[in-house]
Amino acid sequence: MKKILRVMVISLWFGFLTFPFMGNHAGLLIVLLLAGGGLWLVITTLRNTKTVKQWLERASFYQQGFQRNLNRRDRRIVLGILLVLALLFPLFNNRYVVDVAVMCGIYICLALGLNIVVGLAGLLDLGYVAFYAVGAYLYGLLSINYHTSFWLALPLGALMAATFGVLLGAPTLRLRGDYLAIVTLGFGEMIRIILNNWDRVTRGPNGLIGIEAPSLGKKFVFSQPIHYYYLILLIAIITIFVVNRLNHSRIGRAWIAIREDEVAAEAMGINTTRMKLLAFALGAMWAGLGGVFFASKMTFISPESFTFFESVIILCMVVLGGMGSIPGVILGAIVLVVLPEMLRDFYLPFMQVDFSRARMLIFGMLMVLVMIFRPQGLIPSARRKLELHPKKDEDILEQKPEFVYEVASKSQEL
Amino acid sequence: MRKFLFLVLMATLIPGLMAANAYPAEETIKLGLAGPLTGDQGAFGEQLKNGGTIAMEEWNEKGGVLGKKIEIIWGDDQHDPKQAVAVANKFVNEGVVGVIGHFNSSCSIPASTVYTKVPIPQITPASTNPQFTERGLRNVFRVCGRDDQQGAVAADFIVNTLKKTRVAVFHDKTTYGQGLADETVKGLKKLGVEPVFYTGIVQGDKDYTAVLTAAKQKNPEVLYFGGIHPEAILLAKQSKDLGLNTIFVSGDGVFIQEFIDGAGPAAEGAYISFTPDQEKIPEAQPFIKKFRQKFPQAKEVGAYTIYSYVATNILLEAIKGTNSTDGNKLIDYIHKTKFNTALGPIQFDEKGDVLESPYVFWQVKNGKFVQVQELKK
Amino acid sequence: MSFLEYIIQQLINGLTIGAVYALIALGYTMVYGIIELINFAHGEIYMIGAYIGIITLGVLSAQGLTQSSLALAMGIVLVVSMVYCAAYGFTMERIAYRPLRQAPRLSPLITALGMSIFLQNYVMLTQGARDKFFPPLFTGGINIDEVRISYIQVFIMGISVLLMIALQLFIKNTRLGKAMRATAQDKKMASLVGINIDRVISITFIIGSSLAAVAGIMVGMYYGLVNFYIGYVAGLKAFTAAVLGGIGNIAGAMLGGFLLGLLEAFAAGFIPPPHGAQYKDVFAFTILVLVLIFRPSGLLGEQVAEKI
Repeated sequence: MKKILRVMVISLWFGFLTFPFMGNHAGLLIVLLLAGGGLWLVITTLRNTKTVKQWLERASFYQQGFQRNLNRRDRRIVLGILLVLALLFPLFNNRYVVDVAVMCGIYICLALGLNIVVGLAGLLDLGYVAFYAVGAYLYGLLSINYHTSFWLALPLGALMAATFGVLLGAPTLRLRGDYLAIVTLGFGEMIRIILNNWDRVTRGPNGLIGIEAPSLGKKFVFSQPIHYYYLILLIAIITIFVVNRLNHSRIGRAWIAIREDEVAAEAMGINTTRMKLLAFALGAMWAGLGGVFFASKMTFISPESFTFFESVIILCMVVLGGMGSIPGVILGAIVLVVLPEMLRDFYLPFMQVDFSRARMLIFGMLMVLVMIFRPQGLIPSARRKLELHPKKDEDILEQKPEFVYEVASKSQEL
Repeated sequence: MRKFLFLVLMATLIPGLMAANAYPAEETIKLGLAGPLTGDQGAFGEQLKNGGTIAMEEWNEKGGVLGKKIEIIWGDDQHDPKQAVAVANKFVNEGVVGVIGHFNSSCSIPASTVYTKVPIPQITPASTNPQFTERGLRNVFRVCGRDDQQGAVAADFIVNTLKKTRVAVFHDKTTYGQGLADETVKGLKKLGVEPVFYTGIVQGDKDYTAVLTAAKQKNPEVLYFGGIHPEAILLAKQSKDLGLNTIFVSGDGVFIQEFIDGAGPAAEGAYISFTPDQEKIPEAQPFIKKFRQKFPQAKEVGAYTIYSYVATNILLEAIKGTNSTDGNKLIDYIHKTKFNTALGPIQFDEKGDVLESPYVFWQVKNGKFVQVQELKK
Repeated sequence: MSFLEYIIQQLINGLTIGAVYALIALGYTMVYGIIELINFAHGEIYMIGAYIGIITLGVLSAQGLTQSSLALAMGIVLVVSMVYCAAYGFTMERIAYRPLRQAPRLSPLITALGMSIFLQNYVMLTQGARDKFFPPLFTGGINIDEVRISYIQVFIMGISVLLMIALQLFIKNTRLGKAMRATAQDKKMASLVGINIDRVISITFIIGSSLAAVAGIMVGMYYGLVNFYIGYVAGLKAFTAAVLGGIGNIAGAMLGGFLLGLLEAFAAGFIPPPHGAQYKDVFAFTILVLVLIFRPSGLLGEQVAEKI
């Protein structure tokens, strides 16, 4: 009874909130919410009945067992299957899907790069897109003015972006947490503003038109999405491989130590200055690579593609997928690229409602929902899980993360 | 509990997403219409959509084309070049015969590289940047004018009609705004007038008093702005508040009722360049009537609605004329033919531009746009 | 216009922008002070405040109230908008932030961004993408030689300073203010001495959001136009202002806001065109970076020990 009342109160509350904006439609919302609440009540009562509960528990037990067995098996088999699937993917799909897959590839590189800075080293970077812009404009300018080959520009772009990473990192080493966030945000905006205003070199808002597509020899020029697909697949695989090795190396461990407790890390003999700069440089490097590729794919770049919103989306990929977790970040990137595309023609068949206009609305809502239900991300980092759950005791599980986390965040403030 | 709710959520979502692919199986002729349908420029996207819809319905009432119904696929690029390319690939993939769009030059240009390769004819109803047709592509057309045409008209108007020489030029640092402002400056210099003040402003800011105060020091007589209406409203208002006695002159991006509503008294007397009055074009009357019937609550037809309508019609005429959906044939046909459209007869030159400059000046009088200049032949 | 007058005019321009930034920054800083969350959706609350203001004003002028008693009408508009913004802030905290209180630190940041995208599109879908206009109710101003200052500019500056002082007094002197400070310092200890933390956090959101409503309406009146993305730019600038002054510190938010406004105005006014107006944000951010390099926790950040 109390629950029913609650559902009604909540529905009326939202009706009140949305009334000035929606007018009569607020009534419809109340009805919808009431229906939803009713459904929820039915489901919870059902779930609390004994048989269903047992049934659910058994299912989750099997699922966990399956996962554990999978983990023990050689992971290479799974990876191999995934690789074959990725290789065959464009052959069974049309060019639009392949084009979206190419964008996924770019964002996988970007997100994995940002993952180094945010997920591993724990430095909140809100201006990551600046490095992406540096890579893209480097190739764009070299290609238009000097007809430089794409293959030469690729390492150059990475190098240039890494340099910018150090340039940003050096003066901001003393800053912590949110102060760092705002400085990186400012840096990102500065790069964009300069690109937009330095008309003589970057052609301002008009952007660079006519960037050359990559070519192999004289005959084969990249033109179809499928060509770019295999190229970005290669780049993504290299990225994944390198980031994975980094993650498990001394450097990776040092980053995690800095993330968890900078003072303690320094006391243990980690050169925090060097490690942080390295994180910025290595993170930026992948953005530079992604930028060069992006410029060659679009053959047109303008400052519009490098806004703060872009940084935010990349950050969302990292956090949504699970900070520090490579499969998580990859999944995050894929979800955030594919989801808005899917919502592009999202029609509810029975309601005849055009949802294409509401796709960003649904996108925002899903971001909130996913975070509420899975705050650690879709696939949390295994190591982070271990760190946060030192004992496998079920009862402590509820309390422990908060405790450890608070200790970590408090000690960072000292 | 949480996990379960999550699963339920996913379980309901996935079938929904699957259903997204369930298109009607009926064979149709598909056109693509792309523009910023959502986002901060959604108002313009809506105009394109309305124009396209009316054209499609008219043809479908007559039985479609080539014996098939016409279907328009909407592509939302949110004025983001990257999304424009995604939309372009989607169109190609869905077998679109022709494309109306995109709205922003920064989207039309990258998207055109995709359409060229197929090829698919692309007619933009609104992208005025010269670069769009200056790259030697055969498949690109525009039914609107070009920034350089408009800039020349504006410069001529300021110097020869208004007889002013102290001009402060502002632009919003976008492809469109800066392009237009620069073309106007070029035109002014040709007529021997050097602008006394030239600057870009940040789009999205709300306060331009500081830069206007700086401009005031130069005692300008005319304030020329290249950009769209939200900034134009603020510039017009704030310049009056600061006591600048300037005549406000701007381009087609400001030709929208919102400018007058928003700027109020500050808009009075402002000069805006745009195409000649649609109400005065006899060919446009049936369209305007139809628009009023279909959207009775709309206050105005909208600057780009008719362009989108015309672009859609040209594509459909071409399909009908060539009796095919082959891209190359359509492109050749559009290049060669003189179309009788709601904007009057239209013929494209070899670049894909309309042959004559279609811009004249309008003035805001008593809260309405009034055409004050006749088209120069 | 003499050089001195020019400087005074730019000073007025800068202080007006600054007052707006400062008002929005107060909400950022309060929330940050208490739960250390950059509430990216705060700018959206400000936008909602402006919209509610326009909608209420439309209803009132249809009733003829704006013609008969402008002061009363404005009072009603202000109250309605504040109530609604408070309700939105409260709901947002309940939905998007409270369930994540124990989550990793960046998770609430993502929900904040998600909320921001959601609210923007919600307003766009329900109210349309076109600009909405405030009817020009307050016009006129004072002219001293060539320097102009409009009444509404005086009003904006006055209100923001007044609100800041009131807020400072509230936090220093009332029981609730004390509870807020205690919560900001140590949530666990605060709950041990009998402070209802959830309630305190809710109240913080309510106060911050009502301030945003005031900002929304005043800015709407001043510039005369509102659209669904005004919250984004204003939020970004206000956040910068809050950090510049030392985030979590109320006087700091005020100082940061005014300073940022002045920086922008003077950059646009004194760096020769076209660079001044185009690079003013670069200039502002450079100053921010310099300040943070020499004072890593903002200008007034040292008092951060007491937070809020």
